[in-house]
Amino acid sequence: MDCITTPLLALAYTPEQAPLEQIAAELGANGLPYSLPIHPNLVHLTIGLFVIAIAFDVVGALYPLEKRVFRFLALPITRGGFHDVGWYNMLVCCLVSFFTVAAGFYEMLTAVPLPGVTSTFGLGGMTTMLWHGVVGVLVLAIIVAMTVWRGFQRYAWRRDMGRQVQWLYLAVGVVMFAVIGLHGTLGAQLAAEFGVHIAADQLLQAGADLHTALP
Amino acid sequence: MLELLPPLNDHNLPWMDTIHPIVVHFVIAMALVAFLFDVVGVVWRKPALFEVSFWNLLFATGAIFVAIIFGQVEAGLAAPYGAARNILDIHTTIGWSLAGVLSLFTAWRYVLRNRDPEVLPLSFLGVGSLVSGLIMVQVVLGDRLIWTYGLHTVKVVSAMREGLI
Repeated sequence: MDCITTPLLALAYTPEQAPLEQIAAELGANGLPYSLPIHPNLVHLTIGLFVIAIAFDVVGALYPLEKRVFRFLALPITRGGFHDVGWYNMLVCCLVSFFTVAAGFYEMLTAVPLPGVTSTFGLGGMTTMLWHGVVGVLVLAIIVAMTVWRGFQRYAWRRDMGRQVQWLYLAVGVVMFAVIGLHGTLGAQLAAEFGVHIAADQLLQAGADLHTALP
Repeated sequence: MLELLPPLNDHNLPWMDTIHPIVVHFVIAMALVAFLFDVVGVVWRKPALFEVSFWNLLFATGAIFVAIIFGQVEAGLAAPYGAARNILDIHTTIGWSLAGVLSLFTAWRYVLRNRDPEVLPLSFLGVGSLVSGLIMVQVVLGDRLIWTYGLHTVKVVSAMREGLI
C-alpha cells in the first residue's frame, strides 16, 4: 500500500519546477503564455461600469431638474430606473474588478518595460508599474467600499426616498473619475510608452526585423 | 484634412494618447452588461433589470459613434504594416457595421420597451448573443492591433519614422 501511494504523493506535491519557471518556459514574444493580455480587456468593464453607474446616479439625483426636458422626448423615464442602473452597474463593476486586479497582477509578473524609457509623467518603467499596481489595489478597495455604501443607501438608509444616493457618494464618485483617469493613463503608458506585453515593441527591442517577425 | 490637426507627437497622434480605446470602454462594457442583465432578468424573472439593460444599450449605441470618429482619425494615423493592414480593414468594416447593428438593435428594444417594459421576447436574447459575439470578435481584432502590432506605441512609431517597418 505504502509503496503505491508514496510515488503518487510525490508526483502531486513536488513539482519539478516552481510555477514561475513553468510560466517562463512558455512565454511568447509579448511576454505572456498566451497571445493577448487579459487585464486590459477586463479594464473596459471596470471603467465603463463604474463611470456609467455614477453617471446614472447623478441623473437620478437631478431628476427634478431634467424631468421637464425628458417630457419633450418620446422616452418614458422613471427615477427608480436611473438609480437601478447606478446600483446594478456598480455591483457588477465590483465583482468584475477582482478579476481585473487578479489578471493585472498575474501579467505584471512577466512584464518587462522597455529599458531607458521615461514616461510623459517623468517616471521610469518599474516606478510606473509599482504605482499602477498599488493604486490598482486601492481603487479596487474603494470600489468595494462604494458598492457596500451604495447597497446600504439603496436597501436601508434611503429606501423610501426618491433620491437614492447621498450627495457625498456622488462627490466621491466624481473624484474617483479623476483617480481612475490618472490611473488608467499610467496603465496606457505601460503599454504605449514602455511596450509592456506588446509583441511588436518587444521584438523591436530584441533587434528583430518586423518584416519577418510580424509579417 | 490632416493639416487641420495639431502637430503629431511621438505616438503619431495630435493628442497625448489614443482616445479610441478609452471611448470603446463604454461600448464594450455597456453592450455586454446589457446582454448579461437581459439574460439574468429573464432567467430570474426580474423585469427591473430590463430597464438597466435598456439604458446601458442606449448608451453603448451613442458611444459607438464617438468611438468610430476617433477610431477613423487614429486609424488614418496608425501606419499599419504587414497583416495589421488587413486586421485594421476588417476592424473598420465591423466597426461601421456594428454602429448599424447596435442602432437597429436598440431601436427594436425601444419599441419593445414602449409596448411593455416588463416583457422581453427570447428572440431579442438570441440576437443579443449574436451582437455580443460580434463585439467580442471586434475586441480581439482591436487587441491584435495594439498588443501584437503595437500601432501608435512610441517604439513602433519611432521604428516607422526610421523606415524600419
